[in-house]
Amino acid sequence: MNFFDRFTKGWQKYRKPGYYEEFDYAWTMTIDLDRCTGCSACVTACQAENNIPIVGEKAFAKGRQMQWIRIERYWEGEYPNAKLSFIPMLCQQCDAAPCETVCPVSATYHNQDGLNTQIYNRCIGTRACAVYCPYEVRYFNYNDHHWDAPLDQQLNPDVTVREKGVMEKCTFCIQRIRTAKDEAKDDGRRRVRDGDVQPACVQTCPTEALVFGDRKDPQSKVSKKLKDPRAYRVLEELNTLPSVVYLKKVDADG
Amino acid sequence: MSNIDRRDFLKLVGAGSVGAGAGFMLAESIKHPVEYLIPYVVPPEDFSHGIATWYNSVCSMCPAGCGITVRTREGRAKKIEGNPSHPVNQGRLCALGQAGLQVLYNPDRLTAPMERTGDRGSGSFAQITWEDGLTRTAEHLASLHKNGQGNRVAFLSTGVRGHFASLLELFMEALGSDRLLHYDFAHPHTLYAANKRFFGEESLPYYDLQNTRFLLSFGADYLGRWISPVHHGLGFGHSRQGRATGRLRTVQIEPRMSISGAAADQWIPARPGTEGHLALGLAHHIVAEGGYAGDDRENWVAALRPYSVSRVADQTGVAPDTITRLADAFADTQPSLAIGGGAAGNCSNGVATLVAVNALNYLVGNLGKRGGLLFNPTPAFGSSSHPRQASYRMLSELAEDARNGQIEVLIINGANPVFNLPSAAGFEQAMAEIPFIVSLSSFLDETTAMADLILPSHTYLESWGDDSPEPGMGFAVGAISQPVVSPLYNTRASGDIILGLAQQMDLGEALPWDSMEDFLKARWREIYERGAPADKLNDFESFWRSILQAGVWGEKTQNSASTFALDPNLVDNIGVEAAVFSGDSEVYPFVLHPYLSNAFYDGRGANLPWMQELPDPLTSVVYGSWVEMNPLTAKKLGLSEGDLVRVESPHGEITAPVFVYPGIMPDVIAMPIGQGHAEFGRYAKDRGVNPISILAPLMDPDSGSLAWGGTRVKIEATGRQAKLLKIGGESRQLGREIIQTSSNREGANEHAQINSIPISVVSS
Ligand code: SF4
Ligand code: SF4
Ligand code: SF4
Repeated sequence: MNFFDRFTKGWQKYRKPGYYEEFDYAWTMTIDLDRCTGCSACVTACQAENNIPIVGEKAFAKGRQMQWIRIERYWEGEYPNAKLSFIPMLCQQCDAAPCETVCPVSATYHNQDGLNTQIYNRCIGTRACAVYCPYEVRYFNYNDHHWDAPLDQQLNPDVTVREKGVMEKCTFCIQRIRTAKDEAKDDGRRRVRDGDVQPACVQTCPTEALVFGDRKDPQSKVSKKLKDPRAYRVLEELNTLPSVVYLKKVDADG
Repeated sequence: MSNIDRRDFLKLVGAGSVGAGAGFMLAESIKHPVEYLIPYVVPPEDFSHGIATWYNSVCSMCPAGCGITVRTREGRAKKIEGNPSHPVNQGRLCALGQAGLQVLYNPDRLTAPMERTGDRGSGSFAQITWEDGLTRTAEHLASLHKNGQGNRVAFLSTGVRGHFASLLELFMEALGSDRLLHYDFAHPHTLYAANKRFFGEESLPYYDLQNTRFLLSFGADYLGRWISPVHHGLGFGHSRQGRATGRLRTVQIEPRMSISGAAADQWIPARPGTEGHLALGLAHHIVAEGGYAGDDRENWVAALRPYSVSRVADQTGVAPDTITRLADAFADTQPSLAIGGGAAGNCSNGVATLVAVNALNYLVGNLGKRGGLLFNPTPAFGSSSHPRQASYRMLSELAEDARNGQIEVLIINGANPVFNLPSAAGFEQAMAEIPFIVSLSSFLDETTAMADLILPSHTYLESWGDDSPEPGMGFAVGAISQPVVSPLYNTRASGDIILGLAQQMDLGEALPWDSMEDFLKARWREIYERGAPADKLNDFESFWRSILQAGVWGEKTQNSASTFALDPNLVDNIGVEAAVFSGDSEVYPFVLHPYLSNAFYDGRGANLPWMQELPDPLTSVVYGSWVEMNPLTAKKLGLSEGDLVRVESPHGEITAPVFVYPGIMPDVIAMPIGQGHAEFGRYAKDRGVNPISILAPLMDPDSGSLAWGGTRVKIEATGRQAKLLKIGGESRQLGREIIQTSSNREGANEHAQINSIPISVVSS
């Protein structure tokens, strides 16, 4: 048995990808790159919903900005044939998340819905997860952040305000998922209906490039999007099995 | 899918069942503000602890007029979302709209009335009472009014619509002044003028993006900040993927790649100011190839004779075969749609250019048709902003009058001409000649800093109002703006300030209402009364409640089918003159292309920290200004990213760092508008530069609007450096295939990589 086989066997023993299959939901987001215009409404929506601090010029210069979803842009070709494409990048909620195995205190773990979750008050700030994340979507609080009063009145009471020394990242707006589950329970429904949960970014996206839902529900909008032949996952070769699936941009040149 | 048509909309509205707000109750609690010693022992009716209440209202961050629904908890606003039943934005918002809460909770808001204590512009003010402030203002106004000199009062507001706009009109009329102006830097004057000339109607049509198959945009950044970005985004998304009629193809013509240029299937740089020539070149080819069969074909042939493909190719710098292919595609892919605006409308030939774009739509039969350009009914109620919008010419006249001592009082409401006009206009100096300036702004911006008296108004999230969006949706739409939280400070709604002044001046006959809310309800009672009896809810109160809850309203009158007959004289006069640029091209080799920034619009978003830290979509830069130039130009000048350069026009100079931008013509320099505030709070002040300040006072003579794309500049290295703050990372993919593309047009049936790993774990 070579090293690699041993490694994968060990992996399977301790980490069963898809172990949560027996649970109710598998939250998924699809991002249609042929619709996304790079307008960045999603970025501000996420900041507003999730109490993401403004880090200020100095921290930004050190690369310490906190936006949980960012728009990456890539140029191709030269003038006059230059082309610019955008891709929204957020936590990919990997099924086989490299960040989870590396955390010495299990501050980041996999929940029953297939979400990659961060326990803020367990995090000791080793930042190992950020190093292991191939998508670079984990953000570390290098400082305590401050909201000039009365900007703090806007803070969402459903979301924790994080402290210095803690890692954070996109949660798929877990507070909204929880609320929807509670409401479903109150209504005596077993399941959350498709469309009941919309993360902040999805809700605001003007072009409806972002679609969110449960891929265990074959009728959900997101399940239908997953069947699109344009579907792909970023850095597929790493086998991280993301729950964020992109739909290819269409290149209709000429 | 995403798109609410008129019938669906009326169903929603009629039922009054959308939007869970309880706005009317909040209104009641606001009327009787009570201080609780022990907070919430008796909680206000409309909130319970831990449970969110939603109020529907209208976004006021730009003129698009999207519907919003604001989530509040324990009396504080937490999140703004789009109102799903508002046809303009259907639940979606842009980044600036999302940031509205930072207007409400901005730490630099003006919290009470103030009088100036130092020199004008010095920024020293002392607090006074409302009574004092209102009385002093009313006395000034009343003495002029009594002497029949009401016309010595000028009112300059930001663009407002609906009944608040009507209120301003009533007030100024009662005062005897016709100097009521609205001012928005980016108001599309040339587009209105072009529509008036071509369609005979000075209004904006509805561009049916969601049904068109080929969209040709001349400079209009419809997905950026042009007119109604969220609505355009909806149409774009819908028609890009998933609709039955196939994928929308878009072509963008502009000297510098905008957001819409990046999204386009093809971006075609054309020399600034030649977009109209290009449009007529396309028209020439279409008519010559038999694409137009109208009775007046011969007239068109004659009118378009000077615009042969080869000549136009020379003028625009676009290759002849690109022009012919584009013309063929535009004529053959039906329905198609041509739009024009932005840079194309902002040269000295702006109106003629946009008339040429309209002509293109006419020739291929895109007018009044699904997937083309639809005509709008007049706004359903209140006043629209356009008839009052001040062009550059009108503001220059106002400044001239001020210099001649004809203006005694200037009232400012939200407009910021000191920031939004070129220095060459001399508006600030002209203001110095006005004896008494009152500002109703919520922030100490550059214009308010010149005021003698500040009577600060509520933000839009604390005010009553209504809106009938323009452009409309092809059917009558209205929306109510209601306070979503109680006022934070000792401020008042602009409408209440106006009514307060009217009362003190004994203008009660013309303006008999106690408050803006009263006025609004009185007007909406009229709308209720004129409704068809069958549609009426039991009484006005339930009608009012239902529109507050829905946040939107529609009238069940059929939109009169617009027919369109072309004025025959128009054809003979079609033609575009060469654009005039200010500055000798020998001395000033580059054309300056200022553009509205995604985050700040015309500068009004610069005091919002979320917007300051929002990476610009195209460059990813935050917190500052930059100068975009082509890589070849940078190389020629020996410049690279971060080199500080002086951008000098015949009318001034500014200094900013270089950003090497692959999507711009080599002889064009682009700069974002929005930064460079001298005032406007801690987040905006003294950050970056304002390219508007160095623009030439050049106009499009037909509309009198500022030709802000018509200034030439030269670039000089300062030898200094500045670090451009932006998101790190590679600007090229380097084979990593992060963004993957599918070459098939409809994106159908590619070999799907994803199938190698099962993604769906459907079990139950
Ligand atoms: S809001 Fe939508 S269109 Fe805009 S950048 Fe985000 S994903 Fe793209
Ligand atoms: S899902 Fe929620 S947390 Fe994640 S990027 Fe979107 S808004 Fe932010
Ligand atoms: S486009 Fe944006 S800023 Fe303008 S009204 Fe809509 S949400 Fe508000």
